[in-house]
Amino acid sequence: MQPIIRIDLSSQKIETIIIPRTWEKDYLGGASLGARILYDSLTKELDPFSPESPLLFLCGPLTGSLGPAVGRFVVCGKSPATRLWAESNCGGFWGPELRFAGYDGILIVGKLEKPHYIKILDGEVSIHPADHLWGLDTYEIQQRIKKEIQLPKSRVLAIGPAGENLVVFSGLFCDHGRSAGRTGLGAVMGSKMLKAIVVKGSGKIPIFQEEAFKTIRSASNRFLKDDIYAKVFHQVGTASSADYSDYLGIMPKKYYSQGYFEGAGNISGSKISETILVGTSACHGCVIACGRVVDLGDGKERKGAEYETLVGFGPNLLISDINSIVKLGEACDLFGLDTISTSNIIGLAYKLFEKGILDVNNTGGLKLAWGHSEEAMELIKLISSRTGLGNLMAEGSRSFARAFGVEDEAVQVNRLELAYHDPRGASGMSLVYATSPRGACHNKSDYFLVDWGQTFETVGVNYYKRQDGAEKAENVAKHQNYRTVFDALVLCIFSSVPVEMILDLIRFATGFDLSVKDLLAAGERSWNLKRCINIRLGLKKSDEKLPKDLLTPLSDGGSAGFIIPFDEMMDAYYEIRHWDKVTGLPSQSKLVELGMSEIAGDFYPGSIQLAKEV
Amino acid sequence: MKPKFPSSEWLNTLCDKLNNDPHYASIAVKWEGDMTIIVEPGGALKEPLYYYFDLWHGKCRRVAELKDPQEEKPIFVLTAGYENISKIMKGELDPMQAMLSRKLKVQGNMVIMMKNVPTVLDFVRCAREVTTEIL
Repeated sequence: MQPIIRIDLSSQKIETIIIPRTWEKDYLGGASLGARILYDSLTKELDPFSPESPLLFLCGPLTGSLGPAVGRFVVCGKSPATRLWAESNCGGFWGPELRFAGYDGILIVGKLEKPHYIKILDGEVSIHPADHLWGLDTYEIQQRIKKEIQLPKSRVLAIGPAGENLVVFSGLFCDHGRSAGRTGLGAVMGSKMLKAIVVKGSGKIPIFQEEAFKTIRSASNRFLKDDIYAKVFHQVGTASSADYSDYLGIMPKKYYSQGYFEGAGNISGSKISETILVGTSACHGCVIACGRVVDLGDGKERKGAEYETLVGFGPNLLISDINSIVKLGEACDLFGLDTISTSNIIGLAYKLFEKGILDVNNTGGLKLAWGHSEEAMELIKLISSRTGLGNLMAEGSRSFARAFGVEDEAVQVNRLELAYHDPRGASGMSLVYATSPRGACHNKSDYFLVDWGQTFETVGVNYYKRQDGAEKAENVAKHQNYRTVFDALVLCIFSSVPVEMILDLIRFATGFDLSVKDLLAAGERSWNLKRCINIRLGLKKSDEKLPKDLLTPLSDGGSAGFIIPFDEMMDAYYEIRHWDKVTGLPSQSKLVELGMSEIAGDFYPGSIQLAKEV
Repeated sequence: MKPKFPSSEWLNTLCDKLNNDPHYASIAVKWEGDMTIIVEPGGALKEPLYYYFDLWHGKCRRVAELKDPQEEKPIFVLTAGYENISKIMKGELDPMQAMLSRKLKVQGNMVIMMKNVPTVLDFVRCAREVTTEIL
């Protein structure tokens, strides 16, 4: 792999880091390698907003290779929202461009006294004042920097006002609304007074065997073009799942309290396609092009809402007007907010208002009523600027609810707001949310699709009924291991190419001749490494619980009456993972088996000796 | 007596079922379009089958056993091997699972398909209810 560049913003010292080949093979790249690199520096005492707090941008070994949906990078660190391991990956063109510029990653530490941006042009790194750019939204900043450096084809990754204001669910944005939205790393960047990183490169990425890689790359893209998932995502976008998700009762409504909402039929990927869709957008080299381009009737082309945004600002708030939903999502993008967390917290505010826990005295006069979008827009502005009630909301839903003495009302796990796949309709998601290394995340394992019927038989992920219980625990763990490989490669989870093709892509790109077993072990290794990091950061087994609303059966809709057998599922899951049922720590033997004796040594003295004996 | 799948009798019985099933009539009320189901040979089935359905607003207007799939230009073509179709008919394979695991291939407008998954599922329910014996 290419070097990683380390930039200390405090001293402005710039150096390159060479990654040991064994780490490359064991962790592959992306979030997995990021966890290994940051393992030593992430401590319980570390303040995510301190100068010491690292911000690591990493590509994968396939990024920029024009392979099947591989134009992604990941950003890692310690989350200001969860105080745990943070990772968030992002599409667009920025990751590939960084590799063309000669680097596979950037590690940023330190802090600037005034706003700046970093420029990387074909290996040359420089830091530039950005006082005049501070406060700009995430679209304007891209145009301004490109104009300033006179490189219209450069790629800019930036934070918006929310990141500058340290909103703990602010993200990083590039291109047309592509975002690393979750876990609040935009705020970490803001704390460093770093507004943006612009990259431009003209080099070639390293490929171990170019001709063989080209052949498998073409074959995998051809496969993808003909694949049912790719066809659906291309034609209908990620919100293609909305109609069926609604039918099954997996789509949450009224902040997870309702199973049926008449207006849900008006908002879906198919409805967008039939009404406001005017085009599609794609990440670097992607044949799927899941991005939606819409026109709301004013002649302006905008980013259309994907599934999470559509549901978060739609049925979650009982809003059924697509145009309003698109505008709420757009506002989040402009200000640099994660739409999942933002819409969750707004849903929570509506709920607290309905219950009388909030009133107009708290909201600055806003009457928060289900189905009303204008107030949601005002709340987005208040959150982004940390004004009034927005200042409390900017700390995340658990802190927000706690401020009013009702912490249990917040639907979150480990301080990360839930994505919009209700585990009462897809029970596997209960384990996914509870055990994900970054809180209630749906991307570390999109198991709801397995609960629908998606299988990966070659990697041992089979079909269980969507409301089955503990019997699916092993299946969930296998799916998490497999998806962790995707996060390492940084391969889009919509790229459903067969595992054999993935192995060939890795082989010809890197020279690593891996088996399916090796690949899954790499996933499991990383899952356990992030687990060890989180245990060190203070995670306890008792934190891995579902909010009370999700343990209460819905009274209507496609999942009415189902109670998740959560405790049994977690017991079975811990058993399969070989995790201690009191501390949550992976067993010594599991860590040694995965070749992690060095890590094990930090928790179990004598592990290196044990590894030698094994 | 219920007809054996696959057969012309089965095809006509399914058409009658679709025209007389109140639940299907209600759930498929917005469905507009036709489809061909291609059953690829396998097991006891030696030649491919092409079953055509003209479906409109909860009714089945016409069925036909095609000699050549090109005889009709339906909005959807569903293709599966005989073994997988048999499993679907016997209730051993969920139709959505079949689609998501590529055991049932779908060609056509995915906007319409994703909006109407419940209709497709209910179509399969009707097909299962008229099927007791498989070739």
